[in-house]
Amino acid sequence: MFFRQAGVYHTNYVADRALFPVAADRWIIAMILALGVAAPFLFSSLYLSSYLLPWLVWTAGALGLNLILGWAGQFHLGYAAIMGIGAYATVHANRFGVPWEFSIVIGGVSAAVIGSCFAFAALRVKGLYLALSTLALQFVMDWTISHVPAISGGTQATLQAPDIRVLGQPIVSDAGLYYVALVWCVLVTLFMLNLRRTALGRALVAVREKDFAAAVIGVNSFYFKLVAFSTSSFIGGVSGAILIGTFYHAVTPEQFSVDVSIQVLAMVIVISWGAARFGFSLSIEALAHLPQALYGALIISFLLVEPLGLGKIYKNVRDYLLVWPFGYVKK
Amino acid sequence: MKFLCIAASVALSAVSVLSAKAADPIRFGLCYDLTKVYSFVTPQVAQAAKDYADLVNSKGGLDGHPIEMVVQDHGNEPQRGIECYEKLKREGVMVFDTLSTPVSRAVLPRIMKDSNILLQSLVGRGDAVDGDVFKWVFPIGPTYWGQAANDIEYIKQKSGGTLKGVKIAFLYVDYPFGQEPIGIIKTLAAKEGFDLQLFPYPLPGNDQASAWTQMRRFAPDWIISWSLSNMHVIASRAMKRNGIALDKYIAVNWMNEVDINNIGAAAAKGMKRGTNVAGGSNHPLMQEIIKQLYDKGKGNGDRKNLDDVYYNTGLAIWSIAIEGARLALKKDGWPLTSEKIKNGLESINGYDANGMIAPVTVSAKDHGGGGKTRIEMWDGSKWVPQTDWIAAYTDEVWNVVKIQSADYAKSDAAK
Repeated sequence: MFFRQAGVYHTNYVADRALFPVAADRWIIAMILALGVAAPFLFSSLYLSSYLLPWLVWTAGALGLNLILGWAGQFHLGYAAIMGIGAYATVHANRFGVPWEFSIVIGGVSAAVIGSCFAFAALRVKGLYLALSTLALQFVMDWTISHVPAISGGTQATLQAPDIRVLGQPIVSDAGLYYVALVWCVLVTLFMLNLRRTALGRALVAVREKDFAAAVIGVNSFYFKLVAFSTSSFIGGVSGAILIGTFYHAVTPEQFSVDVSIQVLAMVIVISWGAARFGFSLSIEALAHLPQALYGALIISFLLVEPLGLGKIYKNVRDYLLVWPFGYVKK
Repeated sequence: MKFLCIAASVALSAVSVLSAKAADPIRFGLCYDLTKVYSFVTPQVAQAAKDYADLVNSKGGLDGHPIEMVVQDHGNEPQRGIECYEKLKREGVMVFDTLSTPVSRAVLPRIMKDSNILLQSLVGRGDAVDGDVFKWVFPIGPTYWGQAANDIEYIKQKSGGTLKGVKIAFLYVDYPFGQEPIGIIKTLAAKEGFDLQLFPYPLPGNDQASAWTQMRRFAPDWIISWSLSNMHVIASRAMKRNGIALDKYIAVNWMNEVDINNIGAAAAKGMKRGTNVAGGSNHPLMQEIIKQLYDKGKGNGDRKNLDDVYYNTGLAIWSIAIEGARLALKKDGWPLTSEKIKNGLESINGYDANGMIAPVTVSAKDHGGGGKTRIEMWDGSKWVPQTDWIAAYTDEVWNVVKIQSADYAKSDAAK
């Protein structure tokens, strides 16, 4: 009905490789984006600053984790630690006098460096063992922060973050901070959407499906796992930095504790394994407000009923509507 | 989903507009962790806050304005604490308490920016007692530094006025809460010449074996313990096992009757704790609450919580806050602003809630109210005070406070 394919012709390679060949998809994305841009005028400042903003940043963080979990198929239980490394590095750089725009890059790069150094050791094992060794990263990082005052900012273990400035302009209003988060979320979403059109994305999928089969067809699985680790760490690091800059305004170890790692993992599993659709229209923040028990129930029921997550459910509805009312048509 | 969100936000904002219009009462925001880490203390504190508000309201409120305690759960998650703060702030609340160190740290930058009042007694940054730097934060009650210093003073009194050669063990759970007093205790060890050794054990505190085997070799004269709830039970068991007398144990204020019962009321005889509130329900204020509320079936919770020292802690926190609001109304009149409440709190002088808490004198410089505590001992059935309300080594404590707060001031100025 909505998703008419009539009039969609693949007459050249560019059209064939378009992100959204069906017009309805483009419209939906455009509408969501327009809503996102107009949000400061539609929602009260409470909803903007306390729900939408953290939701956007967490979406970006979850998408970053999705790169390693959904695309490369590698478990990561220490993603909050990665975000924390980015956040601390950024705040320290910023306090040192580096402009904020460069500070977040420094944050992302330090998260990527530490994340991939760790991956060198962690990638010697697979599956559950990998999950446990990434969990170790989380605890090593917790311990380091609380025992090294130079990182944590003294016994108070709180480091005040300077106000963020973009191009020398201080950003203090709710709407301004929201737009910073929105821009980052849109950038990460675009990157993740385009990943499936790139050689990197295809290589990651090959590694995920069977790493030695990937090696047989000439994909260096260790190399691509490392690339996935460092890229996803970069996204996580910058997301952590943006979370501090736009939302917390001070960085403490509890903001990146093991609970947070599990929450990000829950977001990725519930949204989907490997789908980047719905980049910023899922109520992750609403999930965070439900009791812990619901996480477990959601993870288990999604793994049992729909392992491909909400993204797959959306796709099922879309596939149904594509040919509606001719349900017997082979899709 | 978006439409649902819009509809929900429209409905909710309509509700908040309506309630803002009816905002004649004085509202206090209790953003508490009622479900996770701090749930061993928050229900009692919230109950005490509501009871005290009801008591004041039954006498006509403050200048005719009723007091309203708004309680919301944040599950010890910083982002939910921020949400609670942002929501209540828009509903006209000016005085907040989070009773959680992570959440209070997360809310503090916003409090300072919005010029609202954060109470944070016994949690959060200790250096916030420095009113020159933390204008809007009132950690009324002792800092952990001050509390540790008072413990040392007690040991000094017991050792005949000198600490030379006395062996003091500092037992702590190895995360920021437990690490906080280390600096001040080391300073005092250098000054007084006592023999100090540190015994950390990891979270969640169920396994303290390594600390206690070393402790046995050290054979301390006194043990100062920075532990919470069940960690005390584990510690007492380890003391029995290692043949260390329980009366050497001085706990931080986070040890209550539940822990004592878990150890065994008779077995726990001799254990001590530092506290800024008198334990038990044998005080005029508590008796009044029992008579006015609980005897009439109007209490805000389970009656057995009245025997819990955390109920008294809650009364201490909120009776001081309400005293501040009362003074503010008296000085500057209605309508209250956070500036007026701040001035009210800063003019509290010698307030002791009818003898239930250590006398508190707040000033623009000292937002801690003097940091007095005393040592109480469990005698098998009740807590017996061992000292007067004392605040010792204040110069050393303020030295630490100033160093830390100067660092905050520097980073704040850099913004």
